[in-house]
Amino acid sequence: MLDDLTHIRNIGISAHIDSGKTTLTERILYYTKRIFAVHEVRGKDGVGAKTDSMELERERGITISSAATFCEWKGHTINIIDTPGHVDFTIEVERALRVLDSSILVLCAVGGVQSQTTTVDRQMNRYKVPRVAFINKCDRAGANPYRVVEQLRIRLNHSPVLMQLPIGLEDQFSGVVDLVSMKALSFGGPFGRELREGEIPPHLLDEAIKRREEMLDAASMFSDELMEAILEDAVTEELIHQAIRKGTISRQLTPVFVGSAYKNIGVQPVLDAVTRYLPSPADVENSALDMDHGEKEVMLSSNSDDPLVALAFKLEVTPYGQLTYLRIYQGSITKGDDLVNTRTKKRIKVGRLVRMHADEMEDTTGAGAGDIVALFGVECFSGDTFTDGTLNYALSSIFVPEPVISLAISPKDNRSKANMAKALNRFIREDPTFHSKVDQESSQTIISGMGELHLEIYVERMKREFGAEVETGIPEVAYREAISRRAEFDYTHKKQTGGAGQYGRVAGFMEPYDEGAYEFRSEVRGGVIPTEFIPAVDKGFQSCLNKGLLIGFPVIGLRVTVNDGHHHVVDSSDRAFMQAAIGAFKQAYGKARPIILEPIMRVSVECPSEFQGNAMSSLNQRRGLIVSSAEDGVFTTIEAEVPLADMFGYATTLRSLTKGKAEFTMEFSRYAKVPDALEEDLKLRYKDKAKKGEA
Amino acid sequence: MKDFSQVSPLKVLERSTRGELGKGNLGALIAGAGLGKTSCLIHIAFDRLFRGEKLVHVSLRDSPEKVASYYEIIFSDLMKAQQIEQEGGIRDLLERNRIILAYLRESFDLERLRGNLDNLIKGIDFKPNTLIVDGVDFADAGRDLFEAFKGLAEAFEVEVWFSALSKADDTEAEKRTIPRPCGELVDLFSIILQLISSYEGVFLRLLRDHEREYIPDMAMRLDPNTFLAIE
Repeated sequence: MLDDLTHIRNIGISAHIDSGKTTLTERILYYTKRIFAVHEVRGKDGVGAKTDSMELERERGITISSAATFCEWKGHTINIIDTPGHVDFTIEVERALRVLDSSILVLCAVGGVQSQTTTVDRQMNRYKVPRVAFINKCDRAGANPYRVVEQLRIRLNHSPVLMQLPIGLEDQFSGVVDLVSMKALSFGGPFGRELREGEIPPHLLDEAIKRREEMLDAASMFSDELMEAILEDAVTEELIHQAIRKGTISRQLTPVFVGSAYKNIGVQPVLDAVTRYLPSPADVENSALDMDHGEKEVMLSSNSDDPLVALAFKLEVTPYGQLTYLRIYQGSITKGDDLVNTRTKKRIKVGRLVRMHADEMEDTTGAGAGDIVALFGVECFSGDTFTDGTLNYALSSIFVPEPVISLAISPKDNRSKANMAKALNRFIREDPTFHSKVDQESSQTIISGMGELHLEIYVERMKREFGAEVETGIPEVAYREAISRRAEFDYTHKKQTGGAGQYGRVAGFMEPYDEGAYEFRSEVRGGVIPTEFIPAVDKGFQSCLNKGLLIGFPVIGLRVTVNDGHHHVVDSSDRAFMQAAIGAFKQAYGKARPIILEPIMRVSVECPSEFQGNAMSSLNQRRGLIVSSAEDGVFTTIEAEVPLADMFGYATTLRSLTKGKAEFTMEFSRYAKVPDALEEDLKLRYKDKAKKGEA
Repeated sequence: MKDFSQVSPLKVLERSTRGELGKGNLGALIAGAGLGKTSCLIHIAFDRLFRGEKLVHVSLRDSPEKVASYYEIIFSDLMKAQQIEQEGGIRDLLERNRIILAYLRESFDLERLRGNLDNLIKGIDFKPNTLIVDGVDFADAGRDLFEAFKGLAEAFEVEVWFSALSKADDTEAEKRTIPRPCGELVDLFSIILQLISSYEGVFLRLLRDHEREYIPDMAMRLDPNTFLAIE
């Protein structure tokens, strides 16, 4: 068990795809002696980087599922989560940010702040994650770290402070000047393992003095002691570190480092920065909800001697069984302990406890507050809270976006059928943004998720990891239905077919509701509907929400108020009132002028400026609304709102329009009414399906 | 929103000879630092948008997100001031009719703007009636830039509104006439408005009105929080 909480760092590494996160992680593991050779992301040696442990990730050169890994640096334990860069997998990033205390924001010295950087940065703000920035790829043609610092300031609203200067750039990039020690650092030996200090090259001295002054100015805002020391010319490195640390933890300052992970330059100083400037679990306040006291927020202590509170933030299937990653917020876990799942109240015994090092593991006997460990053989869902049973706490749930796209899949043969079921069961537990259901009418299995690529990856994983070959249909947008005006209902359910009869009458109205998906209000007076039947009425209405009457998609934004009714002393029952509510829904829904809503995506296209016109027209042709266009150097970033239904295949279109020089990201923005023509079309298609018996 | 024209700061133009800036013309809003130039400029933008016109906001300093957030704040202030609760339709209309063009880190040049406007008109059929230009440094820009802007305003048949920072050290004489930095450019601008803050309140003064030679010294009082005209 780790004795000293102040020596733990739980960090994430987040950035735009292809900024070199995985390469940076690989170098960190090498320098911290967790691995003894370095592999590239798309390495010629066929091994692949350590954190890209899934076969598919190595093949595509992207990190899909974040692997937790730990290492040690100068007496500190660092738990690292390598997070995926593609926007379809942001749930992984969101989950990582929930359990981590800080992050390294990796930026490309050529590409700078890109669309995905903005998304990831927004997420980090949501979880109040302090960060240091690492401007990678300074060896690339067109590298300009100073431009990236400006972008951090203007586009992300950070207060960036350069802690280093690059020595040379592009193919001349050879080291960094440390503005705290005022030394030049070079990186020699195998894979830059040996850090060498030297004098600052004379041509950089003036610039270094100027930049150090800027850094001291910024740092002194967080320390009166440093400010006095500056005036008295008695600045020490320790004073600078303390002030930068304070600014970083309060998220009012972002220290910026430069380097090239691929060329083995500048990685060790980033590790130093992680230990010096980023918070330990003791510096971060965490809270939970006390389920016994109306979900009252309670602060957690970060003390290993207090009762246990831990969060299962990631599940992974391994050849040895299900592996559950836990972040311990307070208390400790040792082998043989009993844990209680707050959601299910089930008690489990801690069997094997391991620390993860990408896809390899090391057994351990115990772990304390602030630490991240993995357990074998725990049946749970991602996001579940575990305690020692003396507390009934739940850690606030991770923000989970609703799926926006669905796909019908069917197994190719009997063997695949069984394996597909196993795979789906696994994926649902691992990824809360992935959903699967069997459509009752068509008997088709429908999977849904956050984007085309998201579902594509799962279909591939079914094949590779579970041997399930499936055929896929055409991706379908997750439409919603909503009502647009108030409508009254008054419905009596009455059935007398021998034996006990069924009787229930409900009256009231339904109306549009902005603040959530559904609300039920009972304003029944005088017991005309006995209190015990009210929940059945609510249940009856809720049962209608899954499938709207217009095109069969879920209904959102609906409030039902029941204000009158009638019951029969013998014939009324829960079932009768449920049926009455279903009848009432059907009676009023059509009168409430239902409309169809479609998901609108926030799309960000980044391209060389000469393609601005092409990119804008392509979005416009897809019913896109151009919000803005920002010119930055030779690049343009266009922001638009586009219906998801029109975004299928956009990657190919954009590639051909811009000679492959543009890229785009998108995330869900809101639901909006579909145009009338499309509404008619969707209704016709639904009618057709209904005729064929598919709907 | 019919009533907005009655509280819009551009109501001051009712006192102008033509009642508006007009296509092909340049207008400037001058104020000292921190008086709310950008806010007031965005009110001018809303005035145009509420008339159903199309508008391009050109920012030489702030990111599109920041500009959009200024619009958001001022929009919700406006809705509150006008006691409008159902803003859905209005917001939709405004967002459809406004595009932000940002030029970050000295990426601005007039040819680029010209190219971008061409793309908007030809590529997505968005022909603006008004350009709002924020962040031009009048002190450094030079006359050539404004002559070129005048050419652009005529070619694209748009009216162009700028914000200009006046210096704190204006002399008494300058305070009575058109202050720097617009003083030397006065012939290029058809309307010049000045935002003044004094112990009596915030006022908008019409300093130049097309070819009119004598302009009576009349200032319109604005609400210091919302910049809306007070009767």
